[in-house]
Amino acid sequence: MFNRNYKEKTIESVLFSVSALTVVILLLICLFLFRDSLLLFKETSLLDFLTGKFWYPTSVNRQFGLLPLFFGSLIVTAGAILFAVPLGIASAIYISEIAHPKVADALKPFIEILAGIPSVVFGFFGLVILVPAVQNTFNLPTGQTALTGSIMLGIMALPTIITISEDAISSVPSTIKQGSLALGATRWQTIYKVIVPAALSGISAAVMLGMGRAIGETMTLMMVTGNTAVIPSFPGGILDPVRTMTATIALEMGEVPQGSAHFHALFAVGTVLFTITFLINLIADLIKNRYRFKVD
Amino acid sequence: MTEVVQNIAQPRVAQPHITVGNLNLWYGEKQALKNISMHIPKNSVTALIGPSGCGKSTFIRCLNRMNDLVKNCRIEGKVLIENKDIYGADVDVVELRKQVGMVFQKPNPFPMSIYDNVAYGPRIHGVNKKDINGVVEGALHSAALWDETSDRLKSPALSLSGGQQQRLCIARTLAVKPRIILFDEPTSALDPISTSRIEDLIMNLKKDYTIVIVTHNMQQAARISDYTGFFFMGELIEFGQTRQIFHSPKEKSTEDYITGRFG
Amino acid sequence: MELSSKVYEKDHKSIRAQGGLSMGLNARTNERIAFTLLTLSAMTVAGFVVIILAYIIYNGYSVISIEFLTEMPRMRMTQGGIYPAIVGTVLLIIGSMGVALPMGVMAAIYLNEYAGETRTTWLIEMAINNLAGTPSVVFGLFGLALFVKYVGFGSSLLSACLTLSLLIIPVIIRSTQEALIAVPNEYRDSSLALGISKWQTIRHVVLPAAIPGIITGSILSIGRVAGETAPILLTGAAYFLPRLPDSIYSQFMALPYHLFVLATSGTNITQNRPIQYGTALVLLSIVLGLNIIAVLIRRHYRQKLQI
Repeated sequence: MFNRNYKEKTIESVLFSVSALTVVILLLICLFLFRDSLLLFKETSLLDFLTGKFWYPTSVNRQFGLLPLFFGSLIVTAGAILFAVPLGIASAIYISEIAHPKVADALKPFIEILAGIPSVVFGFFGLVILVPAVQNTFNLPTGQTALTGSIMLGIMALPTIITISEDAISSVPSTIKQGSLALGATRWQTIYKVIVPAALSGISAAVMLGMGRAIGETMTLMMVTGNTAVIPSFPGGILDPVRTMTATIALEMGEVPQGSAHFHALFAVGTVLFTITFLINLIADLIKNRYRFKVD
Repeated sequence: MTEVVQNIAQPRVAQPHITVGNLNLWYGEKQALKNISMHIPKNSVTALIGPSGCGKSTFIRCLNRMNDLVKNCRIEGKVLIENKDIYGADVDVVELRKQVGMVFQKPNPFPMSIYDNVAYGPRIHGVNKKDINGVVEGALHSAALWDETSDRLKSPALSLSGGQQQRLCIARTLAVKPRIILFDEPTSALDPISTSRIEDLIMNLKKDYTIVIVTHNMQQAARISDYTGFFFMGELIEFGQTRQIFHSPKEKSTEDYITGRFG
Repeated sequence: MELSSKVYEKDHKSIRAQGGLSMGLNARTNERIAFTLLTLSAMTVAGFVVIILAYIIYNGYSVISIEFLTEMPRMRMTQGGIYPAIVGTVLLIIGSMGVALPMGVMAAIYLNEYAGETRTTWLIEMAINNLAGTPSVVFGLFGLALFVKYVGFGSSLLSACLTLSLLIIPVIIRSTQEALIAVPNEYRDSSLALGISKWQTIRHVVLPAAIPGIITGSILSIGRVAGETAPILLTGAAYFLPRLPDSIYSQFMALPYHLFVLATSGTNITQNRPIQYGTALVLLSIVLGLNIIAVLIRRHYRQKLQI
């Protein structure tokens, strides 16, 4: 008996240690990103990095200004969200409230497949189909633009937005729905006046997570946005090439000498990216929890 | 009140198998059992009746410490089984549950074959491989299920009917060779024919086991039990020989419940 | 409740404004328009999938041959096959799953079966959520800093596998937790009531019942490993390497990075198109094949449970 209890305790401690490892990993990520980022500030001040307008990492007068990359990420992500949110929420409403259950069941695998397609395949598709299409439609010197990135990114963010919104919409208690229908409201009135407002926090969380997915995407953007590190003008810049934070890291890391200022600058960009997605996830979590509380 | 309960709760029994003394139980702030004391006699069927939410199921789960699994559950008092306090510091809960088997309300066989369900306990308890067949057959015989299943021991347990599944759960419990078996409303999910087969089975089993059964079916308690305890709002109102409880209850509320005036 | 009463007030006004029950017509028309738009949205999404898949399959299938799958690339990758990239991707899958699967399942067992509602549990849950939302390129940077540089594994298969395994551990934990939650509590109770210890109950009853769900989740994370590019780009994938990796410390080729390289760099991008389509199709087939297997397993066990 003593032996068995000892064994049980040991197993529990091992399992605990493994799950606590996730916290350690997160801390290590912070530690290593910060450590290599801090070394940049021997050369450039934090303020110059955060507010610098020029990213010239290899010229003689090298400058490590975050803004062109930050706004590059921002404009592409904003475009993606503008495109994906209405389409995603509409599809989620269709699947959970309108479609015949058999149609809904048939549609779900499509969304799973969309979520499963590797980003490099999206990028490839964008490169061979969408880039020339954008170029011809708008008569541009190149089709590798922020718009092209936004469209591809929007398609990629759809599964996240659809699945989580659909969860939120389906978990609205049917009593609330029936209450509205019983008052003589049509199904559509019930959907937009009762169901969607009741699911709003869940839908907002879906949008946040879709945004997190979009801002962290790398390969697709590297392949279709042209990678020009210039602050985009607004709104005309949507048709210019841009370069995002993620693409910068992936593009330049291969060619920088390890330990150089440029190397550390890329880590600093990574730290900014990590901080942004960390905040987005935190907000999504908070919204989601409030929503659970409300339903209870 | 407490005094009365204690007096009634100790009928003169030949050999007490389980003795409960001043048992109190809280779920968080809410007290679910209040000062329960009773002797449960050996090789007999003891039925616990009462309206739903009266604490009878909570009580039976104290006897094999299944309440340990419930969060925020606090227990005071003593439960002696064969004169050993099962809440004592040196008690191994796993050992205890081998001695005190339990059959649940809903038939809940594991998603394995009929054979594997019964062999599950003995295998893990380290019964010899060559002895397992015998244990399984014996348990299925004792649970009156052998004739129906001997030709399809390898088929999934979930293919059995509800009543057969419940007898399989009984066989599964018997295979571990407990001395006490707790039944928590074992027939409430079954049809009348399956119910009567299980009742017959329980009456047969008392030759070898001490049986405690929770039921909200008073006829069932009257049919199969030797002793009956009436629970109401977390208290044991009255405990005695079944005949006495049903024919000349001492407490007004027992009589009201038995004659169907509430519950 | 509050919501329905709002609806009631508004509709009540509109009923009066439009003269009682005749409001039905207008509302019906609105509903028809709205439902048409919603239906179109969902069909558009499905349309994206069909177009992308059809395009890649249509252009890629004629390239696929035994030689394409089993030969080394030749002539600056303009000819020959993609064998080393396939092998590299398979090695990445084996290596990262070998690390992530046991760890993820163990963490999920702890969280679902043992953990109480403590501060530590909350911290672990939060860490998992954040890891799940961290961009893969950040994992790449971390892998570069920790495994490649600090630990000194260099730019290698080992570094890439470890980096990818960190990326999918949250996915495996979440899907395993879901599978464990779906195991009815009655199984746990009745095993414990037989005098079986907690760990043995988990091992012999809970885990077997959760296996289909765990497999489904693992297969989906294999798809993730096969498709990720940014992390391996930073930790060990080779631009061009016409041989197989000879140890865990060597660099390797992998399908997604190979596709990226073929499509964006080099001197013969247009001339290379067929090989690009072929590579994309092979990658897509692996990932989608795994997805389909996962769906089939889930469906198979769901039906089995419904007996």
